[in-house]
Amino acid sequence: MSPEPTSLLQGTLDLLILKSLIAGEMHGLGISRRIQQITGGTFVVKPGSLFPALHRMEEEGWISSFWGESENNRRAKYYRLCKAGLKQLEVETERWGRISWAIAQALEVS
Amino acid sequence: MPLFVKARSFLRNLFLSHRVEVDLDQEVHSHLGLLTEENIRAGMSPEEAQRAARIELGGIEQVKEQVREAGLGNWLHSVVSDCRYGLRQLRKNPGATAVMVFTLALAIGATTAIFSVVYGVLLRPLPYTDANRIMAVFEVSSEGHRSHLADPNFDDFRDQNRSFQAIAKYNDDVVSVSGTSQPTRTTIAGVSPEFLKVFGVQPVLGRDFSASDARKGASPTVLVSYGYWRQHLESGQDLPQLHLKIAGALYSVIGVLPPEFRFPKDVDLWLPTDLGGESQSRTSHNYLAVGRLRDGVTVRQANGDISAIARRIHETSSEQGEYLLKDGIVLPLQDSITGEARPALLILLGAVGFLLLVACANVANLLLAQASVRERELAIRSALGAARGRLIRQFLTEAFLLSLVGGGLGVLGALAGVTGLIALAPVNLPRLDSVSVNIPVLLFALLLSTAVAAGLGAFTAIRATSGDLREGLEEGGRGQAGSQGSQRVGRILVAAQIAITLVLVVGAGLLGRSLLKVLEVNPGFRVDRIVTMDVSLPWMEDPQAKASQGIFYSNLIDRLKQIPGVRKVGAVSNLPMEGGLPDGMFFLMTQNEIPNTDAGFAALLQQKERLGNADFGVATDGYFQVLGIPLIRGRLFDEHDGPDSPHVAVISESLARDRWPNQDPIGHTIEFGNMDGDLRLLTIVGIVGDIHDYGLDAPPRPTVYVNLFQRPRAAITVTMLSDADTGSVTSAARGILQDLDPEIPTRFRTFTQVYSASLGSRRFNVILIGSFGITALLLATAGVFGVMAYSVSRRTREIGVRVALGAGSRDVLRMILNQGLRTIFIGVAMGIAGSLALTRTVESLLFGVTATDPLTFGGVTLLLVGAALLACFIPARRATKVDPLVALRYE
Repeated sequence: MSPEPTSLLQGTLDLLILKSLIAGEMHGLGISRRIQQITGGTFVVKPGSLFPALHRMEEEGWISSFWGESENNRRAKYYRLCKAGLKQLEVETERWGRISWAIAQALEVS
Repeated sequence: MPLFVKARSFLRNLFLSHRVEVDLDQEVHSHLGLLTEENIRAGMSPEEAQRAARIELGGIEQVKEQVREAGLGNWLHSVVSDCRYGLRQLRKNPGATAVMVFTLALAIGATTAIFSVVYGVLLRPLPYTDANRIMAVFEVSSEGHRSHLADPNFDDFRDQNRSFQAIAKYNDDVVSVSGTSQPTRTTIAGVSPEFLKVFGVQPVLGRDFSASDARKGASPTVLVSYGYWRQHLESGQDLPQLHLKIAGALYSVIGVLPPEFRFPKDVDLWLPTDLGGESQSRTSHNYLAVGRLRDGVTVRQANGDISAIARRIHETSSEQGEYLLKDGIVLPLQDSITGEARPALLILLGAVGFLLLVACANVANLLLAQASVRERELAIRSALGAARGRLIRQFLTEAFLLSLVGGGLGVLGALAGVTGLIALAPVNLPRLDSVSVNIPVLLFALLLSTAVAAGLGAFTAIRATSGDLREGLEEGGRGQAGSQGSQRVGRILVAAQIAITLVLVVGAGLLGRSLLKVLEVNPGFRVDRIVTMDVSLPWMEDPQAKASQGIFYSNLIDRLKQIPGVRKVGAVSNLPMEGGLPDGMFFLMTQNEIPNTDAGFAALLQQKERLGNADFGVATDGYFQVLGIPLIRGRLFDEHDGPDSPHVAVISESLARDRWPNQDPIGHTIEFGNMDGDLRLLTIVGIVGDIHDYGLDAPPRPTVYVNLFQRPRAAITVTMLSDADTGSVTSAARGILQDLDPEIPTRFRTFTQVYSASLGSRRFNVILIGSFGITALLLATAGVFGVMAYSVSRRTREIGVRVALGAGSRDVLRMILNQGLRTIFIGVAMGIAGSLALTRTVESLLFGVTATDPLTFGGVTLLLVGAALLACFIPARRATKVDPLVALRYE
């Protein structure tokens, strides 16, 4: 079964979450801050979008979760990338590349 | 594997929902903690940090709800919780819920029951292979009516058509059959050899007719129905041993047909036609015909084909005149069987559909009233993160619960209702045996309930969730203003209800008045205290044998007269109200004018002044006395009119008037030989009163009666006028007949039964549409009451203020009644307009009233306005009792 492409906006969020998890397992706030960091502060993901996306992606089998301790000994739910998630990241990356190229092309034509 | 992971999540969400919930809760709270910590690290005070964290999170419950919405299988979960919540809501208001469920059950049940009749009669395919390829073939008479086929015409259709792979003619009759344990009156069909091929039916035992079985002079053979074979032939396997004596002749049983095959209706025995040779006349319409279309041939093509053949016959035949066909027509057999019942059944379906609408309006009103009470609850749920879609779904769920429970109960009711309908249905309603609550009917009920649920749910949901729900949280004030909109909708619903009810009751009224008008018609005969007795002797061609049958009947009648309590006895070929008498053309002529060749008769057909048209009845003098048909002039048959004396006839008043205007027909002679093959002249000796032979709603037909003892026939109905009770007369008469000939079966009925059966369809329609109308009236009245009572209770405070400011109880009464009257007036106006537009559809069922009968319209309007006003009056009275102090302290 090949991973199905998701809709543009949702796909972008998924891509960012998957990308940030490449660096290793992380809790929700960590992912949120990581996205903020890697996008140079352009994307601020609110919990209202983040958590539904995380749960959905977990149900898709792209990521898995476990309870762990935060740096300050606070119990937090951590997420890590699964094999399927890695594959999905490739698909989404490739797709994003295509889209951004296409849009760049479109904007160049005056 | 992702699929496995998905399935696991799905099941987890579904069955471990509690753990999932706790997990989610902890996760969101831990997130909040992390955020707060981060803020503190950034230098905020703990309180500030917490506040900022909460703002960033945006509401714990909302986030949780958003996650839930995204969850796999969650919709199912939330449906379950919606249902649970819905059930709780419905239980909270047990009275209203019971009323709604009952109303829906009644309406869905009634609609389902009527639909099961419509489906069984009109829609369900006939039980034959590719039944839609089976056609009925008719001649078209010079007047444009469908008519039976004459032998040579059928032969031409059969031999010249290119449209049918098989075509057969048939007729049916009730005859005496013996040779089994007990003689029976059995319905038989004479059929041509391809009959079973048309239906694609094979005998389950034995063989089909071959062409040689149908040849003139072939040894008589018969096919028997499965039921007859089981019941009367003890399921005998050895067919060559089985013989039946049918109408006096011995037939060999050659085959048994499958259990489901019964065509024409109620037939048990199928015999080949034409064993005695075919008629050569193109104007003796003796047969019906069926055919199976060839593959690829359309009904339209077949019609063109048959029509061309028929018109060719019309142009070339030597037998010109009004009894010669003008055209031919082909239509699907199913349409030809059910065509006459169609309009009335569709009207019934429409009527019950109206009832359903009225019922739905009531339920919608109740739901609306509940929804407005729930405004606060909705506001709270929406504040806690429920999306509008989620709230709409809640309403839909509740509506579905209501409708499905109502529909389920309705189907149970329909099961009983269908049995009742079948019992109530008029005898002439075709295909009643195929009416049942079956899978398609159940699907219909399910679909109907779903549609009702979707309609009601969407309606209330959209009404209740429009506008800014959060306003509902604001205390007080809104209590009245907010419900203004839903009250207006409620009143519109009630107006629509009144309108629909008015249409329904007007329809019922028109049909009811028609029935009364029909009952007012003087049938021209007496109905009560008459016992009838059907007797069939074998059909005989030989004049000698026929004469002996005349003597047999004469003996029978003489002996029946001896039964104690029996005052008069007569006999007739066909009872009135049972489909009428055969009709034909007669000639006015004297003895020396009788032509002795066919060509001579054909020439006479051109002399219009010699022709007459009448129904042909065979009767005894006693028949007129038993039925009280008055002798207007001349005499009835008497003992001098023996078989060898000049044959006489008695004619009906309308025939005398129409055919012999300004003349005395008595003493004139006519020749009516094409009805019974007897060419002897008939001398008119008397004129009797007209009778409504074809039913009270059909005009009397001109009729010629001949004397049974001069023109004997095989099958008659004996009529006995008696003071004794029916049972004793019946058993005495049965004994006498058995004494004369033990092989002749009979059937007894009272003439009242025959007469009231003829009113069956009318009564059926009146009872059904009437009860739908009454139910709708009750529902609409309840609807008016509900809306008014609700409005008064909502306006208690306002009324209190008015009273406190000096309004008298009369003012309050007038205010409330005015409000109700406006609604009623709008409803009635719409209803009258609707009725004027729609009663046209029942025009064909009316008798003696027009579709716009002012009396019916006026009466129904008064009735409806009266009922609605009464329904307004009670809440209005309650409004006048409002105590301003109590009202103002309220809330």
